[in-house]
Amino acid sequence: MFGRLEPVNAPTPTRGPPTDQLLRLMIESAHDYAIFSMDAAGVVTTWNTGAERLMGWAHDDALGNTADVIFTPEDRAAGVPEKERIEAASRGRAEDERWQQRKDGTRFWASGLLMRLDEPNAGFVKVLRDRTAAHLANEQVRKSEERFRLLATNIPQLVFRSMSDGNRTWPSPQWIEFTGLGIEQSLGFGWLDAIHPDDRPPTLAAWEAARKTGEYYCEHRLRRRSDGQYRWHQTRARPISPGESGDWVGTMTDIHDLRGLQERQKVLMAELQHRTRNLLAVIQTIVSRTLRGSDSLQAFELEFSRRLGALSRVQALISGVDYQSLDLRDLLVAELQAHESSQLDSGKVTLDGPALPLPAAAAQALGLALHELVTNAAKYGALAQERGRLAVRWQVDQHGTERTAKVDWKESGVVMPQGAPRRTGYGTELIKRALPYQLGAETELQFEADGVRCTITVMLKSKTNG
Amino acid sequence: MAELTGRRILLVEDEYMLAAELAFFLERHGASIIGPFRSVAQALAVLDREPIDAAVLDINLGGERVYPVADALIARNVPIVFATGYDELLMERAYIGLPRCPKPIDKSALLQVLQRALAHVPSSSTARS
Repeated sequence: MFGRLEPVNAPTPTRGPPTDQLLRLMIESAHDYAIFSMDAAGVVTTWNTGAERLMGWAHDDALGNTADVIFTPEDRAAGVPEKERIEAASRGRAEDERWQQRKDGTRFWASGLLMRLDEPNAGFVKVLRDRTAAHLANEQVRKSEERFRLLATNIPQLVFRSMSDGNRTWPSPQWIEFTGLGIEQSLGFGWLDAIHPDDRPPTLAAWEAARKTGEYYCEHRLRRRSDGQYRWHQTRARPISPGESGDWVGTMTDIHDLRGLQERQKVLMAELQHRTRNLLAVIQTIVSRTLRGSDSLQAFELEFSRRLGALSRVQALISGVDYQSLDLRDLLVAELQAHESSQLDSGKVTLDGPALPLPAAAAQALGLALHELVTNAAKYGALAQERGRLAVRWQVDQHGTERTAKVDWKESGVVMPQGAPRRTGYGTELIKRALPYQLGAETELQFEADGVRCTITVMLKSKTNG
Repeated sequence: MAELTGRRILLVEDEYMLAAELAFFLERHGASIIGPFRSVAQALAVLDREPIDAAVLDINLGGERVYPVADALIARNVPIVFATGYDELLMERAYIGLPRCPKPIDKSALLQVLQRALAHVPSSSTARS
């Protein structure tokens, strides 16, 4: 724009161009600026090329008309043009940033400066610059910031902004609500106060690591203000723009319940493994005990499959009640029904007693013992003989704080086999040894004149004990 | 002479049939069985009364864990072998390196583990005299 000026290093001092001309040239060539003047009432007196280009009004159309047309209708109705002139008249200048309007009605964001001319009643000169692009970019940033705040303050996670070393610059309202630490208390490294003391070193170490990896990750306990409980949180953070950046955004998610479930799952897995392996071990003992008592492999196969059947019936009952207590009556019925000859409805069998819940662990031992009694009765005793009868009666007695259950198995009408005394078998050992050992039970097993009699007295624990 | 002759072995197992089976097996190999016991309290009570050369311990005893017994035995330099349904993953970390026989028990493996554990332990019956 200075192309037509004389060179400054001319050999002889020369006068510059006339000031009027210089200014006119500058104004006319300033295409990016709308520069125009108006009289005291706002009527246009000069209008440069930049004004023509920016506002769309040709020089001749603008001249003599009011300059107020470049304001939006809302601003004109609000008297903005007049207020600006009053301000410039009194203070010498008035600056503003606002939407302005072109001849065709489209709008642009302008930064404007209205200056008072010195001579009395000479009016004003206005310089306007189109700042639409920059303004929209700023708006974009502002809206994006707003969206971030909206998101950051409405998700359940605690959100924060931070420097790359963990130095916090902004905590979300959820953080303040959860920890009870205010903004000021949380800034810098104040937020560490809410972290469990034991977890502070790893929390800071994770920030060291994050500077190398570009990603922060840590699981630590965070104190909840409402009840003082330290709850496990998972914290993640990343720099806002990848690469070198001091500005990080992070979230802290409450994973306390999740961790609790994982712990519980581990306990359940341990219990499951214990039960499965123990069951296999029990089967292993049944195999070797049955083998020792069998004269032939056929006898072994028959006896073993019956015992395995009894074990699986008890297991089915236990799993049916989710490894909680199961009732003695159910255990007896299942075992009796497994034998065709039991004829539960024929009047041969009497079952009589109150509800008697058995812990799962006791049920297995008792189930195996009952199986041996039933098998014996079905082979030689009350269930095998026409006139035989079986009565199982049980009761629960309360002695002070102690409760004992007494089960009485009594066969009658049985013609007892003559001859040699019975050898001590697996069933006898279960009743005489296993039940006392495992359940602390007192047991008696007698071969009376008209049938087998077995009593089992067991203390019921007041606490629930599997 | 059987492998465990003169050895006094503490047996802690809450399932009677397993305990009886193991006791029968170990006795057949010459051992004297202390127990079997089905609870931590019973096992702890016997430690000061009876000399013990080694112990075979089930971990889960009807809900309670055998670890206090293990600690007391380790403190007395008595070698222990866990006979357990637990994988290492489910054991307390401090006990993971100790000898372990998974259930169901491979008895000949248990015998070997016991013999190894007892290799440098003088028999309590001779040590006391």
